Amino acid sequence: MTQLKDKDPLGKVIVITSGKGGVGKTTSAAAIAAALAKRGHKTVVIDFDVGLRNLDMIMGCERRVVFDFINVIQGEARLKQALIKDKRLDTLSILPTSQTRDKDALTQDGVEKVLNELKEQFDYIICDSPAGIERGAQLAMYFADEAVVVTNPEVSSVRDSDRVLGLLASKTKRAEDEGTEVKAQVLLTRHDQRRVDAGEMMTIDDVLEILAVPLLGVVPESPAVLRASNVGMPIVLDEPSEASRAYEAAVARLLGEEVDMSMSKEKKPGFFSRLFGAPA
Amino acid sequence: MRTEPFQVRGRFLTAIAIRIDVESPDESFYAALDEKIKTAANLLIGAPVLLDLAAVPGLVSRDLLHNVIRAIRSKGLLLFGVQNANPQQKALAEELGLIQVLIGRDTPLQQPTRAAPPRRQRLVEPPENKIIRRHVRSGQMVVAERGDLTIVGSVSSGAEVVASGNIHIYGTLRGRAMAGATGDASARIFCSKLEAELLAISGLFKTSETIDSDLRGCNVQAFLEDETLCIERFV
Ligand SMILES: Nc1ncnc2c1ncn2[C@@H]1O[C@H](COP(=O)(O)OP(=O)(O)OP(=O)(O)O)[C@@H](O)[C@H]1O
Ligand SMILES: [Mg+2]
Repeated sequence: MTQLKDKDPLGKVIVITSGKGGVGKTTSAAAIAAALAKRGHKTVVIDFDVGLRNLDMIMGCERRVVFDFINVIQGEARLKQALIKDKRLDTLSILPTSQTRDKDALTQDGVEKVLNELKEQFDYIICDSPAGIERGAQLAMYFADEAVVVTNPEVSSVRDSDRVLGLLASKTKRAEDEGTEVKAQVLLTRHDQRRVDAGEMMTIDDVLEILAVPLLGVVPESPAVLRASNVGMPIVLDEPSEASRAYEAAVARLLGEEVDMSMSKEKKPGFFSRLFGAPA
Repeated sequence: MRTEPFQVRGRFLTAIAIRIDVESPDESFYAALDEKIKTAANLLIGAPVLLDLAAVPGLVSRDLLHNVIRAIRSKGLLLFGVQNANPQQKALAEELGLIQVLIGRDTPLQQPTRAAPPRRQRLVEPPENKIIRRHVRSGQMVVAERGDLTIVGSVSSGAEVVASGNIHIYGTLRGRAMAGATGDASARIFCSKLEAELLAISGLFKTSETIDSDLRGCNVQAFLEDETLCIERFV
């Protein structure tokens, strides 16, 4: 089926998380999964946001959902029945979540069992986390090998990302069992250079100084994102745009390739120095 | 100073303690709280505040206790800990980032490793210094109850580091640091870059509003002199 069928799948679990809501986690999970699959890696993207079910819409497969993640956890369906194969890329699958079930239907043991089964079939398992730092978000990150922390260049998003980084360092299986940290990188999304220049948004340097983790990429604010999501198309499968190129570059970095950060360097004074220069 | 075989006892930060006297705080409790804050604003606003639960061992409902904590915080008081909390209350308070403050704690005294002069023997306990080799992130708190605290990393806005001794931060301090938390007025705070929300030594404190803005971004040490918190750059 794919060129990788002879090798054992890699089975790497990557959580897409943020703390703050609406920063672009689901958009990023869909884009990253699709970009990995485009490169031939067997990839599945899982929706952990029980009750909201956005992922299958962004992936354009909402009409094909019969069984879901929760059904599998509760033993009502087999994993094979719940996985939806993407029609555009045969290396890509989606494991949707339930819109009707209670959040408590996700259990740690259940999640672990499903992830272990997925690891036998897929190279990359991308977990789209719900917002917040409560149970749902903690379950989405608990079994992760790596994390992509989606952040917008504004103070509250950065603060929440910082909290999430703290959880990643302490409340994951890796941290608890092995004392190792989940490798975390920040993906800065909805970056708008005009608003940065106007002092309304934080600079990339300001964000990185606070978060102190590597930068995976910078995705610009782009109408192409909304357009693609309206037609159920992961942005990297749509017509090339600045945003799709940014996600492709981020995925290349995720795979360990060296890709230049081609963002124009800002020379303006940092957001904070300006903030502190003004009366509170 | 640190070689003295005893700790200064008594004052525990110069924190304000709010003692709760009703097991199920209701509207009249919140009204009284409002009133108190109005009349004692100078004393209360900006001061480190403790919740004393000695009188209410039965206040163990998450909602009730969390409501009290949130209410006090929403009035602008800097609530940082609980005292005389039972284990259930301690756990609930920790969920909202409050520390258990131990006053007059009955710790079993450890036998000193070397024979010390008998006069001092009962007070000797080796310090337990702590070194943290990572960033302390927003929402996290690190406490060195009996000694110095060294952070090899930054302390985020919304994070707290507390020590009974000195605090050393090899990184940016954006959150809160409280040294000499059990009353040691000789404790100091050192950091490579100051962006702090709060600096406190033995209960005397400065907040981001009262810290001289020229010191922002500098490497500094903070210490007490004549009952005043001083902040100085290294040259
Ligand atoms: N780079 C971008 N440019 C413009 N709009 C974007 C960009 N990224 C995301 N958006 C828009 O932001 C909104 C929120 O995105 P998304 O649903 O991916 O966020 P989320 O973090 O998953 O939200 P939630 O926390 O609710 O799960 C969507 O309308 C999406 O189209
Ligand atoms: Mg989402």
